[in-house]
Amino acid sequence: MKTKLTEMAPWLAYFVIFVSMIFAGSDHSIHVASQIIILGLFAIAFNVLFGTTGLLSFGQAIFYGLGAYITGMMAKSFGADFFLWALLIAPVAALALSAVLGVLSLRLSEVYFTMLTLAFAQLAWGICVKWSSFTGGDDGIQAIPKPDILNMGGRNYYIFALVIVSICIYLLWRLDRSPFGSVLKGIRQNPIRISFIGLNVFRHKLFAYMISSSFTAIAGGLYAGIDKSIHPDMLVWTMSGSIILMTILGGMRSFFGPLIGVAVFILLEDVIGRSTEYWSFVIGIIMITVVLLFPKGIVGVSRHFAGLFAKKGGQFDNP
Amino acid sequence: MTTLELRNVNKHFGGLHVSRNISMGIEQGELTAIIGPNGAGKTTLFNQITGYIAPDNGNIFFDGLDITGKDPEILVKMGIVRAFQVASLFIDETVYDNLYLAALAYHGKNGNFFTNRRVYKDVAEHCHFILEKLGLSGKEKLKAFELSHGDQKVLDIAIALTMKPKLLLLDEPTAGMSPDERVKMTHMIRNIHEEFKLTTVFVEHDMDMVFGIADIIRVLVHGELIAEGNAEEIQKNPAVIDAYLGHEVL
Ligand SMILES: Nc1ncnc2c1ncn2[C@@H]1O[C@H](COP(=O)(O)OP(=O)(O)OP(=O)(O)O)[C@@H](O)[C@H]1O
Ligand SMILES: [Mg+2]
Repeated sequence: MKTKLTEMAPWLAYFVIFVSMIFAGSDHSIHVASQIIILGLFAIAFNVLFGTTGLLSFGQAIFYGLGAYITGMMAKSFGADFFLWALLIAPVAALALSAVLGVLSLRLSEVYFTMLTLAFAQLAWGICVKWSSFTGGDDGIQAIPKPDILNMGGRNYYIFALVIVSICIYLLWRLDRSPFGSVLKGIRQNPIRISFIGLNVFRHKLFAYMISSSFTAIAGGLYAGIDKSIHPDMLVWTMSGSIILMTILGGMRSFFGPLIGVAVFILLEDVIGRSTEYWSFVIGIIMITVVLLFPKGIVGVSRHFAGLFAKKGGQFDNP
Repeated sequence: MTTLELRNVNKHFGGLHVSRNISMGIEQGELTAIIGPNGAGKTTLFNQITGYIAPDNGNIFFDGLDITGKDPEILVKMGIVRAFQVASLFIDETVYDNLYLAALAYHGKNGNFFTNRRVYKDVAEHCHFILEKLGLSGKEKLKAFELSHGDQKVLDIAIALTMKPKLLLLDEPTAGMSPDERVKMTHMIRNIHEEFKLTTVFVEHDMDMVFGIADIIRVLVHGELIAEGNAEEIQKNPAVIDAYLGHEVL
């Protein structure tokens, strides 16, 4: 199988942009880029559920928070070396938690699934805030240690995060093109037909949920290293909500769409947020515009315009 | 040998008795038509045979095994496969990818999450075989939603055949088709049935087709099996004429 150019182009762009940040970026822009890749991983993992399988979880922040708290608490209690171990333990813990939550929620109809995921996440957030002796409560956890080599300025940590995020995104990209990925897309379009080609819908949804959640936990763990601090806001429902918004903004029908949505959102927040306090007003307008005029997101817009130039029959095979 | 046997199958929807103590035996290799007026419970019967809903009571046997209440995915693996009254497709995918997904499932590749789905030669061959058999070659790159109504029904049946059924159930295969398409579909069903020695049950309102190709015809009225027999017997059966065919057929 030769890989088509249209499939490789987004990867090329990805590496050109994020690798060049290592050399060209100021401290501030490296900080922003770190946030983009980490939330980008969160959004791409979320989209395995949303855009691919058609499952709207409104509570993926629970796994983001889980990863962050496991990493923060382990590094804080056992020392900097455990920072790396925590990044391995976090996805495993997320697998276990998502298996339980998935079994409880995935048999329900769509709306109830969405509400239940929201409820679980809010419950976890409540625990984080109230159980302050364990989690640091409202203040979260500060001064999380990490290995010295990752500590020298934001750049080293950015490189570290970029390597891990890229591996994770690559794995999810493979999944997207795999037979399993095809089944998930089939479930989104026609779950009844899936069971009538001999496949168990629930089981495939559960695996998708577990995979998505464990990658989300890795993103959460990585986030704990950016500012060395974490806080209960990582679990609150607006966190899940903004990942949904960013995914829709970028385009949920495209693999890299969610990452683009995250990048645009964070860059806008950075630029507009510095010059006006009406930041949320501006992003609101942008969201409404995109959803009303370009329901397929930014990627949809660019495909649309590319399609105007390309001859009819130019295929865009889900890059 | 009896491939499918129903014993005293009953199904209610609230106060509506849609399957009334239905018993029948379908022999291996038989081409059976089930006919009856709208709302007679034909689709509901298919739904019970294929595991989409369970009977209230009674039993269903397949190759001698009691399959009552088993889930569709298990029955598909055993060889009970259906096509739907309203084509049930992966609507955003191409014709080829609709079949490809079914073939991936048939070959047990569905759990593989790391390999490029395109690498499987046997799966691809399987799809091309089906495409050709059902006359869909040349349309494989069209998206399912771009197909004509008739081709969507053909694709639905193609997906079913991809699963290599032992027992194929077709729910109104010619519904909504033009007269030309009906003729083609009729030939196709007969050919498939003969070529694969496939036990086939189809529900149909087109009497030319029913009397043209079915070995056995079973008549369902108000959830009750009122007659079974060959074309001649059914056409002469006074109860069937009364309840369904009407007198103008004769
Ligand atoms: N899930 C359901 N819940 C309640 N009633 C149902 C359900 N499915 C079917 N029915 C009712 O059961 C009766 C039989 O329906 P069914 O679809 O089996 O008929 P049919 O013989 O296939 O008719 P048609 O020729 O119109 O397709 C109808 O009155 C229908 O409204
Ligand atoms: Mg029907």
